Amino acid sequence: MNIEIITLAEVQDIKGEAGNFSVDVLKHPRYIDEDKCIACGVCAEKCPKKIIDTYNAGLSKRKSAYVEYPQAVPLKYVIDPETCIYLQKGKCGACKKKCPVDAVNFDQKPENKTINVGSVILAPGFETFSPEAFENYQYAKHPNVITSLEFERILSASGPTQGHVSRPSDHKDPKKIAWFQCVGSRDMNRCDNAYCSSVCCMYAIKEAVIAKEHVGDELDCAIFFMDMRTHGKEFERFYDSAKTKSGVRFIRSRVHTITPVTGSDDLELRFVTEDGDLKTEIFDMVVLSVGMQTPKALVDLSKKLDIDLTPGNFADTQTFSPVATSRPGIFVSGAFQGPKDIPQAVVDSSAASAAAAELLADVRNTCTKEKKIVPEVSVLGDRPKIGVIICQCGTNIAGVVDVPKVVEYASTLPYVELATDKLFACSQDAQDNMVELIKEKGLNRIVMAACTPKTHEPLFQDTLTAAGLNKYLFEMTNIRNQNSWVHKNNPEMATEKAKDLVRMAVSKVAMQEPLAEVELPVNQTAMVVGGGISGMAAAKSFAEQGYETHLVEKGSRLGGQAVNLYMTAKGEYIQEKLAEMIASVESDDRIHVHLDTQLSNVDGFVGNFESTFSSNGNETKLEHGVAVLATGATPYHPTEYGYGTDDRIITSLDLDKKLMDDDPSLKTLNGAAFIQCVGSREPERMYCSRICCTHSIENSIQLKEKNPDMNVYILYRDIRAYGEKELLYKKARQLGVIFIRYSIDNKPVVNTDSGKLTVNVLDHILNMPLELEVDMVSLATAIIPNKDEKLSNFFKVATNTDGFFIEKHAKLGPSEFSTDGVYLCGLAHYPKPIDESIAQAKAAVARAVTLLARKTIFSSGTVAQVDPVLCAACGVCMSICPYSAPKFTEEGRFAGKAEINPALCKGCGLCVASCRSGAIHLKGFDTDQILTQIFEMDEAV
Amino acid sequence: MKNLLEHMGIDPGRLHFSWISSAESTKFVEVAKKVTEEAVALKSKEKKYMKTKPKVA
Amino acid sequence: MSTKEPKIISFLCNWCSYGAADLAGVSRMEYPSNIRVIRIPCTGRMSVKFVLAALRQGADAVWVSG
Repeated sequence: MNIEIITLAEVQDIKGEAGNFSVDVLKHPRYIDEDKCIACGVCAEKCPKKIIDTYNAGLSKRKSAYVEYPQAVPLKYVIDPETCIYLQKGKCGACKKKCPVDAVNFDQKPENKTINVGSVILAPGFETFSPEAFENYQYAKHPNVITSLEFERILSASGPTQGHVSRPSDHKDPKKIAWFQCVGSRDMNRCDNAYCSSVCCMYAIKEAVIAKEHVGDELDCAIFFMDMRTHGKEFERFYDSAKTKSGVRFIRSRVHTITPVTGSDDLELRFVTEDGDLKTEIFDMVVLSVGMQTPKALVDLSKKLDIDLTPGNFADTQTFSPVATSRPGIFVSGAFQGPKDIPQAVVDSSAASAAAAELLADVRNTCTKEKKIVPEVSVLGDRPKIGVIICQCGTNIAGVVDVPKVVEYASTLPYVELATDKLFACSQDAQDNMVELIKEKGLNRIVMAACTPKTHEPLFQDTLTAAGLNKYLFEMTNIRNQNSWVHKNNPEMATEKAKDLVRMAVSKVAMQEPLAEVELPVNQTAMVVGGGISGMAAAKSFAEQGYETHLVEKGSRLGGQAVNLYMTAKGEYIQEKLAEMIASVESDDRIHVHLDTQLSNVDGFVGNFESTFSSNGNETKLEHGVAVLATGATPYHPTEYGYGTDDRIITSLDLDKKLMDDDPSLKTLNGAAFIQCVGSREPERMYCSRICCTHSIENSIQLKEKNPDMNVYILYRDIRAYGEKELLYKKARQLGVIFIRYSIDNKPVVNTDSGKLTVNVLDHILNMPLELEVDMVSLATAIIPNKDEKLSNFFKVATNTDGFFIEKHAKLGPSEFSTDGVYLCGLAHYPKPIDESIAQAKAAVARAVTLLARKTIFSSGTVAQVDPVLCAACGVCMSICPYSAPKFTEEGRFAGKAEINPALCKGCGLCVASCRSGAIHLKGFDTDQILTQIFEMDEAV
Repeated sequence: MKNLLEHMGIDPGRLHFSWISSAESTKFVEVAKKVTEEAVALKSKEKKYMKTKPKVA
Repeated sequence: MSTKEPKIISFLCNWCSYGAADLAGVSRMEYPSNIRVIRIPCTGRMSVKFVLAALRQGADAVWVSG
């Protein structure tokens, strides 16, 4: 209700300043009235013009009247003016004639709108690199060379082949598929991009694994790559299992030529292996892992809007304000900030909304609309009076199902007071009419036989609420998506099915009781655990948005691991920025810092937590509505490579310390070697620590700049300088830093026996053992999460095998836990650099504020409830519930019996099925209600 | 579950389980067809096991 | 209803298979009309008794899908 979606719109200009922008928008015509369109699809069906479906990457056809994909929001059809016969030639208009709600309007004109806003978030996304320029890859010429996005559509169940893997030229099932990485990334030869696109390694592995799942193990998948960059959470493990379990082949080589095999549609690849051999291999198809880039039009718009761009044409941001563009009040999220994957884009978008909310905190809720509340009529003890409404949905239902017959039948069913049909039950006039009918006939239960409850149930429930009826006195049965649309050629059976479905729904709704949604207040105080960069950034964002915040730190100072760090990848001095940050947290009246403090207990649930702080033996209690866990991580203490036996063998953080102190000895070094992946990407720690490659590269540059004659080596397994960090990698190479790759089975050996410090490693290009004589070895140690089982238990949040917290959803809920009201950020989630930590801290706060801003929450009505008389207090429900909703009652008549907290229950019904005493009822889906539907299934007519 | 049915003298082939994501409409249709075909085949094979109808509340 | 046509009762998870069934409709796919769907919040809600009740009620097959 408070989001206005303006589709088909282009921003022309943004004038004004933070707090008061005026945005000029050009809205292109849809040629279909959004308010009228019911997404029945008749226009697309009748449209005679077939064109290439860009959504399916050009692999299939669609009509000129279309929705881009079935999940489109808003789900409204649109007419493509470039190809529509009527709009091009003035003839046709088939859609207009057939549209049942008269929504087609060819007279729509482009509109100019000006919108007044306080802040702007840019999330314009990216385009994929077009590989047409590479003649050697044959993309433009050969149908079996496709892009990764095209392959993605081939794999999709809703794609042009329904997920069946076949190659475009002859629809043959491929036996061998090759992926080429870094197409359009990490190169500057042709119009491609110097940065790394960050996501392609992982998606290529995913595509290969899924292709093998679809086709079977006999499919041979080979990925040709330079460095395998699986630096995301759980990605390294996925990479490992793709290699060892799925049998995907990984070949470290850049293929230079693809040659079509004459007489077939196959492709011959020539490449040089790691050993330097020239090999040829024939594949059925080739997938080009294309990178991301900012579209030209967006680059032009950025210039006009005064938004600074990076060398790679992404919006320029600073490490300590990762979502703020160069223009105050305008924020950025997603791939326009830098190439990134979904979790990172989701984090950014929440962070950008937090940043905008900080700016606009004073005017929160001044423009929001609220629903009017109609007093609810009590139906308790009344005999069911059921109203059955059968929707014709134009011809969508009525064209197949004999609606009058169903109406007639429905009116004979028990307790049915009224049965009627509507042309479009969802239309505004039909809704108003329903409200009248409910009042006039005194109906107390409604059955709606129409489309799917997944999209329309909330709408009809609102109608009930508007008529003063409890919204749970409603049942919807699906006679469109699951009946008329799928049984088009069998109208008789479809009508019978509709009758059955209506009968089942009537019997269920008769047993439906009005359900209460419990209203709970939300305590307006926030608690943040952990005083590192993430914790401080979170506390600061809460405070900026006007919330009292308690920041709990177990140590005696703020700053966390950042106090050990020298410089960011963007060249900012961390200590300077950190000091500013600590000062601003300490001087903020709304932030209460608790040092030397640990949590000794947590009670309560979302909106109503009570935590006990323990500090030097003193205990204090705090009531708070939300909690953010930013408990951070520690560096791995290495036992390998002779660490601790010689002062010259140090860790990256030790080197940072030397750099911070401007240690004069650094200038006099003749040689330095960095060893990567110390403790990371090992069988016992199967994850990449994400930041160490960039960190070592940054430090190697520092050394080279201090003393250009120094021999600097970086010994690595894969360089993971993702995004524009790749430019830093390039800079290091240009400065003469020597990169030597080693493999996990043949690690470098550090030797100090002769008094000299040497590193022995097998050179991957010469395949010869090398002995490097250096004065310093810097170990890039792993990042290890602070495992705190007590904290996990307090908030019922889980950790993965590596000890990192498990978020609600790896892609869509990266900054929140599945426990409501608890959020996470920073290194406790996964290793990440400062900018990503701060973004996630803001994201966690944004998610938390969606709860705080509501002030009260309503539990759902469809929750489980225990009948304490029947409860045997066995505790099975408590152990099975994924949301920790059931608990033993502590006092009163039923002490010791289970009770379910409606605020935590998600209504999944696991406990109901598990309860041996049959004591648990799931309201709205109770056993009787499901049984009655079963019993009514076969009532012969 | 299937063992229980077998024990009760009901063909376990009458019970089907599947896992389909909300995007897998094709799979849904495939399984729907398979379930129906098997039901048709079973129906012609055996005489239906049917008890008296229970009272409906 | 002809007694020759088998009747199948299916329990579909609201979030997964029920969505797939909806999408099948949107894509206008066709499949036999013998299935009667009961929407459940999650397959966790399923219970042996529903399966038995359905079979006793004369369903020729029961299909549970998450």
